[in-house]
Amino acid sequence: MIPEALKNFDRFQDVVKEMEICRKYGMDYSLEKGDVGKFINRYHPSSLDLRMAELIPRTLDTKTIRLVSQDGYLPPFQAGQYISVAVEVDGIRTSRPYSLSSPPNQTGYYDITVRRVADGLVSNYLLDELKPGDLLRTSGPEGHFYYNPLFHDQTMVCLAGGNGVTPFMSMIQQIVDCGLERTVYLFLGSPDLGQALFHDRLTAIAARHENIHYVPVIENPPEGYKGRGGLITGDLIQQVVGEVSGKTFYICGPQAMYDFCLPQLEHMGVPARKIRKEAYGPPLRVWEQAGWPYAVKPQDAFEVRVKGGGSFSAPAGETLLTSLEKNGLLVPSLCRSGECSQCRVKLLAGKVFQPAGTPVRRSDAKFGYVHSCVSYPLENLEILL
Amino acid sequence: MHDYDAIVVGAGNGGLAAGAALAQSGLKVLMLERHNIPGGSATTFCRGRFEFEVALHQLSDMGTPERPGTLRTLLDSLGVLDEVSFVSMEDLYRVVIPDRLDVTLPVDRQGVVDTLQERFPAEKEAIKKFFDLVYGYGLELYSFYRNPGGEVERFPLLKRYAFRTAGEVMDEFFQDPLLKAVPGAYWGYIGLTPNRLPFSYLSLLYVSYIEMLPCHVRGGSQSLSNAMFNRFLSLGGEAKFNCGAKKIVVRDGVATGVLTDRGEEISARFIVSNASKVATFTDLIDPGEVPKAIFEGMKGRTPSPSSFNIYMGLDCEPGEVGITASTTTILPDEDMSDRHFNQMRRLDTENSVMGFSCYDVADPTFSPPGTCQVALLTLRYAEPWLRVPPSQYAAEKYRCAEAMLRQMERVCPGVRDHIEEIEVATPLTFMRYLNSPYGAIYGFEQYMKDSLFFEASRQMPIKGLYLAGGWVTDCGFAPTIKSGVSAAGAILRQAG
Ligand SMILES: Cc1cc2nc3c(=O)[nH]c(=O)nc-3n(C[C@H](O)[C@H](O)[C@H](O)COP(=O)(O)OP(=O)(O)OC[C@H]3O[C@@H](n4cnc5c(N)ncnc54)[C@H](O)[C@@H]3O)c2cc1C
Ligand SMILES: Cc1cc2nc3c(=O)[nH]c(=O)nc-3n(C[C@H](O)[C@H](O)[C@H](O)COP(=O)(O)OP(=O)(O)OC[C@H]3O[C@@H](n4cnc5c(N)ncnc54)[C@H](O)[C@@H]3O)c2cc1C
Ligand code: FES
Repeated sequence: MIPEALKNFDRFQDVVKEMEICRKYGMDYSLEKGDVGKFINRYHPSSLDLRMAELIPRTLDTKTIRLVSQDGYLPPFQAGQYISVAVEVDGIRTSRPYSLSSPPNQTGYYDITVRRVADGLVSNYLLDELKPGDLLRTSGPEGHFYYNPLFHDQTMVCLAGGNGVTPFMSMIQQIVDCGLERTVYLFLGSPDLGQALFHDRLTAIAARHENIHYVPVIENPPEGYKGRGGLITGDLIQQVVGEVSGKTFYICGPQAMYDFCLPQLEHMGVPARKIRKEAYGPPLRVWEQAGWPYAVKPQDAFEVRVKGGGSFSAPAGETLLTSLEKNGLLVPSLCRSGECSQCRVKLLAGKVFQPAGTPVRRSDAKFGYVHSCVSYPLENLEILL
Repeated sequence: MHDYDAIVVGAGNGGLAAGAALAQSGLKVLMLERHNIPGGSATTFCRGRFEFEVALHQLSDMGTPERPGTLRTLLDSLGVLDEVSFVSMEDLYRVVIPDRLDVTLPVDRQGVVDTLQERFPAEKEAIKKFFDLVYGYGLELYSFYRNPGGEVERFPLLKRYAFRTAGEVMDEFFQDPLLKAVPGAYWGYIGLTPNRLPFSYLSLLYVSYIEMLPCHVRGGSQSLSNAMFNRFLSLGGEAKFNCGAKKIVVRDGVATGVLTDRGEEISARFIVSNASKVATFTDLIDPGEVPKAIFEGMKGRTPSPSSFNIYMGLDCEPGEVGITASTTTILPDEDMSDRHFNQMRRLDTENSVMGFSCYDVADPTFSPPGTCQVALLTLRYAEPWLRVPPSQYAAEKYRCAEAMLRQMERVCPGVRDHIEEIEVATPLTFMRYLNSPYGAIYGFEQYMKDSLFFEASRQMPIKGLYLAGGWVTDCGFAPTIKSGVSAAGAILRQAG
C-alpha cells in the first residue's frame, strides 16, 4: 500500500516508471545458481582430492611426494604457503601442514617434501604407506609466509633449519624460473651434510644465478670441511650479507632455531617488522615453558567432557586437538601451530596452558575460546565443539 | 515432531540477532554457519601481534546511555549490552584532496557548520541553510516513518527533496566544488556516487551519526558478534560451525527444514536465512519451489559494490604518519560526476576515492602499545576480478594495493616505512567469506527507486521462511541487527 502523500512527492511518477523498466529488463538471478561457489572454488576449495604421482627420495629420511589433481586444475598459491594433509592412520583421523616445495609457476603438480620424524604418526605413514596412485585429501594452499612486495625488501635473507628449507625451495625456484628481480641469501642449518635437504640443487642454482646465494651451515662438519660450520649466528649472517638495512629476514625451522636466531637478529638491529616467521607447530616440550605450573606433570591425565558428547582422558603434555582426534572427535585444523584459529573450541570449565603470544582474538579469549592445537589441559575440562 | 522450532542459516549480524531473540523467547533454535566463527562481516582476524577489524568503520545509532539510539536499545533488549563496550569517536570524518582540501568535521551540528563556514566564508549562508535542510528533512523522514498518512502538505521537504540526488541538492545550495566534496565524501557509506545517491541517505547519515555518535566496538566487531553468540548459547541455543546449509527444504510452499553440507536433514517449523536473498532463492531452494514473484521482484535490483581492502598494522602511533582522525576519506579531486562511479567497475585503483579508519585514534588500546592499525578501502564491483586468471590474482592484488598505498602516502607521508603486517582483501575475498553474489557488501543497491520509501514487503511467499540481513533492509550494523530482531518478532507472532 503506497501512502497517498508519497504519490504526491515531486517526481514520484518518474521513479515508479524507472522501477517498472528495471523490473522488465533487469537481472535474472535464477540463472546464477552456483556462481559464487564456482568462482571461489578456483581459489579456496573446501578440500582437494589429489593423486600421488611420484615419490622422490631426497635424503636418507626425506622424500618428495608429488601430487597431481584429478581434473588437472590446482588452485594458485604464493611460494612459501603450505597445504594441510588429512589422513587416517591407525584409526585416528588427523591432519598435518606441509609447505609446498614446488614453485607456483609449476602448475602441473604440488610437491611436499616430508622428513621422517621418529615415532611420528603422519610422516611415517606418508613415507611408508602411501603409494603412487593413492588419493590424498588436502586443504587448499594456506599460510602467510611468503614474499609480499607491498612491504618486503627485494633482498631476502632466509634462515632455514632442517626441513624448514621447503618453503624457500619454492621461492628460489620461482625466482630463477621466472627471472624475478630478487636477491636471496639462504642459510641452511643442518646437523651434517648428508641431511642438508636440496643441497645439490641449491648448490647448482647458486652457481648459475648470481642473485641466489646459498650458505649451508653444518653443525658437526667432517674433518677438513671447507664450508661454514657450527650454528647460524648473527656474526655469520652479517659477514655474508653485510648491511642489514634494505633486507627482509625470513625464518623457518624447528623451535630451537627461533630461540637461537631471533635474539641474534635483534642484536644485529633488524626491526621486528623486517622479520617474517613461519609457524613451526606446537612447542616440543611445552611443560618446560615459562608459566607452566610446576605441579602439573606432562603425563598427568585429566578428564575432558565434551558438551553433548561423552568424555575422555587427556594427558597434560599433549595438545587438546591431538587428544580429541585420538578419541575420534574431528576438529578442523590447518596450521596446527596456533595461528589460523581453525581449531578454536570453547572452554566451558577448567584451565588449559596456551603458549604466550598465541594469537587468539581478544573477545575469543574473553568468552573462553582457545586454539586447541596449542592448548594443554591443566585441569579437568568441559568443552564445546 | 520437528527437530527444532527454528533454524537460523548464517551467523552474521542478522542471524545472530534473530537467533538470540528467538532463544530469548524460549524457542529451541539451531544456528548453522559455514565458517568456524560467528559474525559474517562483523569479525576480526589476527596477524602477528595485530587483530584486524574487517568491516566496521563507524557504528551508527548507538547514542549514549542517557539518550540511547535504536541500536543500543536493541542490544539491551537482547541482553548483550553489558558484555560489550563502545568507544565514541571525536570526529565525524576528515576529507582530504591532497594539496587542496583538508577538513575535519566534529560530531556536532553547529561545529560542522562552523568548520565549513570558516573554510568557505563566501558560502556562509548557504552552508547554514543546507544543514537546516539536512536536519529538517531528517525530521520529516522520521515522522513519515512513524505515520505516513495524511496529506502531502505534512511533508513539504519530503515532497520537494525525496526524489532528488545528493548531488542535485548540493548544486542547488553550493557553488564551490570543493565545498560540495565535503558532504559528497559520505557516498562511500552507501556505495552510490553523489549524482546517484538519494538525498535521503545523505540526510540520514548526517543526522544519525551526529545525534547518535559514530562509535566503535572495543576489541573490534568480533566482540559484538561473540557477545550475541554467547547470549544465544547461554539461552540454550545450539550451533554448528563449519557447517553450511546446502538446501532449505520447501515442500508445497512450506519451509520444513534444512539439508546441511554434511548431508544431515534437520527439520524445523521456522527457517531464518541470513544468507543473501539471492543465494537463498537461487542456491538454497529448489527452483520449482520458488514463487515467480520472487525473481520478478529481484529483477529490478542490482548488487551493491564489493570492496578492495588493505588491512595494515603499523609500528608507530597514528600521529607519526599524519593520521589525525578516526575516519578519513581521500578524494583524488572534487569531481562528483560519473567518473568515480565508472571507476568502481575497473580493476585499477589509481586515482580512486578511498577511505580509511584508524581505530587507535579514539581508542589507543585498540592495537598493542606503540602501534596502530589502518583499514584502507575503495569500493569495487566484483566483475573485473572474476575475469582475472587465478594465476595472476596475487600479482593484480599487489598492483592495486600498491597504487592505493602510493595515494595514501600523499596524505600520510612515511606510512609505508612502518608497515609490520598487511593483508589485502578483494571482492573475491568478500565472496568467499560472506557467500554474497558479486561479493556485494551492502546488499542490493539503493537507487531512488529502491530507497527507503519503497521498502519491499517482508511478507514471505514461502510459509515458515524469514530473511534477515543486509539484503532485506538498508546495509549496516544497526539495520541488519534490527532486521534479525524483526524476523524473530514475525516468527514469534506466528508461533503465538
Ligand atoms: C607451517 C608448517 C609447515 C611444515 N612443513 C613441513 C614440511 O615441508 N616438511 C615436513 O617434513 N614437515 C613439515 N612440517 C611439520 C609437519 O607438519 C609435521 O609436524 C611432521 O611431519 C611430524 O608429524 P608426525 O605426525 O609424523 O609426528 P607426530 O606424531 O605429530 O609427532 C611425534 C613426535 O615427534 C615430535 N615432532 C613433531 N614434529 C616434529 C619435527 N618437525 N621435528 C622434530 N620432532 C617433531 C612431536 O612432538 C612428537 O613427540 C610443517 C609444519 C608446519 C607448522
Ligand atoms: C568492508 C566493509 C565495511 C563496512 N563498513 C560498515 C560500517 O562502517 N558501518 C556499518 O554499520 N556497516 C558497515 N558494513 C556493513 C555491515 O558490515 C553489513 O551490512 C552487516 O554486517 C551485514 O550483516 P548480515 O546480517 O547481512 O550478514 P553477513 O555479514 O553478510 O553474514 C552472512 C553470514 O551468513 C553465512 N552464510 C551464508 N550462506 C550460508 C549458508 N548457505 N549456510 C550457512 N551460513 C551461510 C555467511 O558465512 C556469513 O557468516 C561494512 C561491510 C564491509 C564488508
Ligand atoms: S589449527 Fe591453526 S590455530 Fe589450531
